[in-house]
Amino acid sequence: MSQLGRVKQWNTFARCWHLFDAAWQNPLECAPSIEKYLKGLNKPIYHPLVDCGDHVVVINSKQIAFPGEEWRRRVYFHHTGYSGGATWTPAWELHDRDPTMIFRKAVYHHMKGNLFRRVVMERLHIYSDSNVPEEVIENITNQIPPLRSIPKTLGSYSKEEIEKYPKIIDYPEDFILSKN
Amino acid sequence: MFKIPLSGILLGASKVPTKLFVPSIGLHVSAPMKLKEIHANKVGGKLIIEGAFVPSPRKDHLIPNNSECCSLCNLGLNVKHTDVLILSQFVRPDGCMMPQRITGLCKTQQKRMSKLVSMAHKAGLMCSLAPANSKKDTTKRKLWKKYNTYFDESTIKVYESHFKKIKENVILDYVKSRNQEIN
Ligand SMILES: [Zn+2]
Repeated sequence: MSQLGRVKQWNTFARCWHLFDAAWQNPLECAPSIEKYLKGLNKPIYHPLVDCGDHVVVINSKQIAFPGEEWRRRVYFHHTGYSGGATWTPAWELHDRDPTMIFRKAVYHHMKGNLFRRVVMERLHIYSDSNVPEEVIENITNQIPPLRSIPKTLGSYSKEEIEKYPKIIDYPEDFILSKN
Repeated sequence: MFKIPLSGILLGASKVPTKLFVPSIGLHVSAPMKLKEIHANKVGGKLIIEGAFVPSPRKDHLIPNNSECCSLCNLGLNVKHTDVLILSQFVRPDGCMMPQRITGLCKTQQKRMSKLVSMAHKAGLMCSLAPANSKKDTTKRKLWKKYNTYFDESTIKVYESHFKKIKENVILDYVKSRNQEIN
């Protein structure tokens, strides 16, 4: 067996650990790609009854992003079981209480409901910031590519960079420049 | 001022002495067409405020626009709300959008740019261009505003009058070309 083939076989039969940075990512968009690694859909030996999924470590889940008014408009329903026990919580309120809950719910609800769902979810490790325990970090061998690029703020550019950027409009001739 | 009854005024003017029609030179104290900057200096106990003429700081890096349309339509850029280096050219130091007479854009582009600027502010991308008392750190904002938000540019409405004009121009051009062919 060639050297590459041997490593391929190791990767197929071993339980790998993948890292995913959730900063500025929409959890609803990246749920499918995370599900792929959790269930092992990318492996040639995949079968629904074969337990061949990998672990996924998600960091910075507090910095997830939603489009437009989604933080206000998206509500999470819960019923206690008693009469009048229904509650509707906006996404931002739920995120205040538990910064990992929205991401976990997004992945959980994307997967098909069967007896394996809760077993697969046990392999998803979500951390609200980048403080990950040592025993988790030492396992990680791969990083899942982010779906959205992190936007750069104007403050991150240097003053010279802003000045030298090509200008589209010029000030009119009788314009009064303000200082600062 | 002299719009229609010009000939009548001229007829009347021939009767009055010519001295009355000397244009008022002393009205403009300073040259009106120059970029100005206001300086406030304290010399001793006196506060001197003066408007000094300055060259435009954007002169060297300006893209020349030789076409009939506005500078943004000329470039044909697909500007996103994350392009803060472009959007910051259309705002004042406190982050508010400059009016159409200063930017010189057409109506459609001006509306689109002002929407994009407000998107960039809401997403917290242009916090360095904001009033001093505003919350520049986005994580300290209230309620849902403290969380990361991105926007979809396709939600910006484009007004139909803009397309109407373009369509009319296309039809007119077509009619012109047909007439030339027939001739
Ligand atoms: Zn235009």
